[in-house]
Amino acid sequence: MSILANKDTRVVIQGGQAGVNAARRMAEFCYLIKRPLNVEAFVYPPDAGKSNEIPYGSGLIAIPVYKSIAEATKHHPTLNTSLVYIGADRAMKGGMEALDDSHIKVVSMITEGVPEKDAKILGAHARKLGKVFNGPSSIGIISAGACRLGVIGGAFDNLVLSKLYREGSFGVITKSGGLSNEIIWICSQFADGITTAIGIGGDAYPGTDYVSYLEMFENDPQTKAVVIVGEMGGDLEERAAEWYGAKKRRVKLIAVVSGFCQESLPKGMKFGHAGAKEGMKGEGSARSKSDALKKAGALVPPTFGALGPAIKETYQDLLKSGQVKEPVEPAMLPRLPKTVEEAMKADEVMVSPLIRTTISDDRGDEPCYDGYPASELINKGYEIPHVIGLLWDKRLISKQEAEIIKRIMMLSADHGPCVSGAYATILAACAGIGLSQSVAAGMIMIGPRFGGAVTDAGRFFKYAVDSKMSVDEFLAYMKKNHGPVPGIGHRVKSLRNPDKRVKELVGYVKSLNIKTPCLDFALEVEKITSVKKDNLILNVDGTMAAVLVDIGFPVDSLNGFFILSRTIGLIGHWVDQKRQDSRLIRLFDYLVNYAAPKRREVPPLK
Amino acid sequence: MAKVLEGPGMGLMKKWGINVPNYVVVTSVDELSRLGQANEWLKKSKLVAKAHEALGSRFKLGLVKIDLDFKAAEAATKEMIGRQVGSITVTQVIVSEMIPHKEEYYCAVKSTREGSEVLVANCGGIEVESNWERVKRLCLEIGQAPSPESLEKLSKEAGFSGPLAKKVAEFAGKMFACFDSEDAQYLEVNPVVLRAADEELVALDAVTLLDGDAKFRHPDWNFAFAAEFGRAYSKQELEVMAVDSKIKGSVKFIEIPGGDTAMLPAGGGASVYYSDAVVARGGKLANYAEYSGDPPDWAVEVLTEKVCSLPGIRNIIVGGAIANFTDVKKTFGGIINGFRKAKSEGKLKNVKIWVRRGGPREKEGLDAMRALKEEGFDINVFDRNTPLTDIVDKALQAK
Repeated sequence: MSILANKDTRVVIQGGQAGVNAARRMAEFCYLIKRPLNVEAFVYPPDAGKSNEIPYGSGLIAIPVYKSIAEATKHHPTLNTSLVYIGADRAMKGGMEALDDSHIKVVSMITEGVPEKDAKILGAHARKLGKVFNGPSSIGIISAGACRLGVIGGAFDNLVLSKLYREGSFGVITKSGGLSNEIIWICSQFADGITTAIGIGGDAYPGTDYVSYLEMFENDPQTKAVVIVGEMGGDLEERAAEWYGAKKRRVKLIAVVSGFCQESLPKGMKFGHAGAKEGMKGEGSARSKSDALKKAGALVPPTFGALGPAIKETYQDLLKSGQVKEPVEPAMLPRLPKTVEEAMKADEVMVSPLIRTTISDDRGDEPCYDGYPASELINKGYEIPHVIGLLWDKRLISKQEAEIIKRIMMLSADHGPCVSGAYATILAACAGIGLSQSVAAGMIMIGPRFGGAVTDAGRFFKYAVDSKMSVDEFLAYMKKNHGPVPGIGHRVKSLRNPDKRVKELVGYVKSLNIKTPCLDFALEVEKITSVKKDNLILNVDGTMAAVLVDIGFPVDSLNGFFILSRTIGLIGHWVDQKRQDSRLIRLFDYLVNYAAPKRREVPPLK
Repeated sequence: MAKVLEGPGMGLMKKWGINVPNYVVVTSVDELSRLGQANEWLKKSKLVAKAHEALGSRFKLGLVKIDLDFKAAEAATKEMIGRQVGSITVTQVIVSEMIPHKEEYYCAVKSTREGSEVLVANCGGIEVESNWERVKRLCLEIGQAPSPESLEKLSKEAGFSGPLAKKVAEFAGKMFACFDSEDAQYLEVNPVVLRAADEELVALDAVTLLDGDAKFRHPDWNFAFAAEFGRAYSKQELEVMAVDSKIKGSVKFIEIPGGDTAMLPAGGGASVYYSDAVVARGGKLANYAEYSGDPPDWAVEVLTEKVCSLPGIRNIIVGGAIANFTDVKKTFGGIINGFRKAKSEGKLKNVKIWVRRGGPREKEGLDAMRALKEEGFDINVFDRNTPLTDIVDKALQAK
């Protein structure tokens, strides 16, 4: 047997994430005692109509979320208990809603920081209706082997260590959440464990006090003794003492009270729970409470540390008098399935990875590129081109190489609004499309005819150099197998109107003391092709390609340099249009050659 | 509970129709001088000047001056502002009108488990404290307002009669309205006086404790709450309070000068048992601290730094019960970072650290603490099998 929470307890949880977390803990307990999940519904208006997934064993149970308690109890007429996890400003309304529903008999409020007046109103309302209002600031209620309400009892391992899977003989009532667990543990180590443990909350005026629960324990034949963990402040402990001393009680009472330190603190200094405040005339001090409990016949150990032995002594007496028997432990207990991560950590499973990466890792406190922490790269003077080198080619490039990449990027960042990429981005921006999609529209234009020739140019120049072809052999090979040479030819620029960007880049690279076989070869190719036709010059794609191959970048990464650089321009164009609040644009009819057939009659449908 | 200083306290009473003397709260003599030009009563009436700070026994400290003319009030203000009393610097002075009167009475409303109590006595000032039996009370259930008849009955029980009984009843009724509407936990006026000029009851002093948790429904609470223990909060305490207001869960810190046993325990319940254990073993607390409700590790780190910075400490008690949902590894991570930082700043020399804890991920957390030994910390780590406060016994026995 137990009090308040038992095998028939069916729960609705009022609240969002905190409530879901509690439900998970409750499901762990249900799994341990091999009972179905006792949470049937959530009430949380923002998520009404959805469901919360609660892990149970190795599976997941979907628990519906409702708009109101009335709706929840209509769909789940067996609900009889509500746990309130709503914020302090709305907690009273939520608590009232639950109390006023005829199905709900017990409401336990976990919310902290609820105004005192609200707590009193809720407590009084529950008493009027003959119901139980527990809390606020309650850690929960747990009946061993039967029912857990809230996170009381802690992690799964602790449930097992504290033998909460089966009933003992001790009832527990505490104000403090952390100490409830401590006492449950002590009861399981020094005696046979608990029947029910209740956190009544640390506020000054909890909805239900020790006396109401002592009365319930007194009427529960399984509970042989009750442990109370009290605090200075208020008069709840004195009332418990009064109850205990009023007549012969069946249950034994063991109690400790905290707050003796108060006596030696500077005057007026107080701390602990909200309710732990001494009264004005010294009433409610730890000493007066302790004395009252002792006088009423309770066992009051001098310190918290002496509580274990006191519980042991009581248990031994109960054993001797035959009131309790040594408990029989179950041979096997369910074990909580491990998550994949936990099982891997314990070397219990092997998982074949879905993807493999060789370039970066941000599982630590900061990203590492090819093993180098980003902050260290920054602090040691490395720059963006080095990050490109690490992520695209897995190597730390030299200062000189970085300078070349920087210049390539600066030269290719933008080429005005008229080119395909920028135009597509502007068109999208004017249609009100967002940044990433508009930039993507511009990106889509990068291909064989616009900006996408870098990789191919690099590939073919490298092929020619590697196979030691002459320029004539190369041109013949290209003509026969591939067509025009990528990287050669420009729509507007020509020998007489050279591309300044190419000049700049070639000039800089040639000024360095590095070997540039590809660039040299490309320039030789240009000499021949530009004679054939004025605009068959080495264009910026071809120049970049040759230089990048010369400094060792893999052919497949080469288009990336154009894509990356031009992204700077595309973003610029989008922001520019946005800033101007540009209107939707469309082509003018006079820019279109309408070559479609003239208007004519549609023949009848056959 | 949140204590409110006299100025804002009287403001709340005035809001609910209780007569209070004219008053101004100033931060400088200049301000008072300018107010003197704007308010005739300051020049015409006799005045009282009091330091407007959370200080006990202000009278003894010379921080209450009565029967002043405006010039004398200016002089008193000048003298009080900037005065240092313990850790408090007087920054505000409340100057109010003296109310000529003969009789002094007492009225209070306090929170009880069932609801509230209205207290009335036909004596006031220090007289009421030595004649507590003359205080008569009316107990009210929560949600119940006192009827005019019941208040008049109370007033007569307290020894008032005739028209005064009715006035006292009305005064008590207004006090209750203020108490109930403002989410107060305690309101006390001592003394209530009968103003000679018009025979009206006036509140000469206000003790106001409000429910800080109800602040969300009182947008006009634009005043700061005062420290409740007769001194201002220290810079370190305020810094921890600022962190506390930002996080899920909580961190708390109060300094106790002169102690040598520093506290860094978890949970509002266990923390007090740890403090009790220190006192019971004859130790001297250097502070009170607690972290609870699974606070973020950085908040615990801030708290740890404050604890490590306490002067003259010899032991740090990192105690805690078996947590329900506070992640031991994560919160200990914050403590460990705090310890490392303190050590790198040259603190924690000859300081012994004592750890006891249980709860989610207790093994990982305790292992991480044990590993600090290798970094040169003098640390002793115990698990759930060591009773809660035994580390205090060990700490205070170890010399």
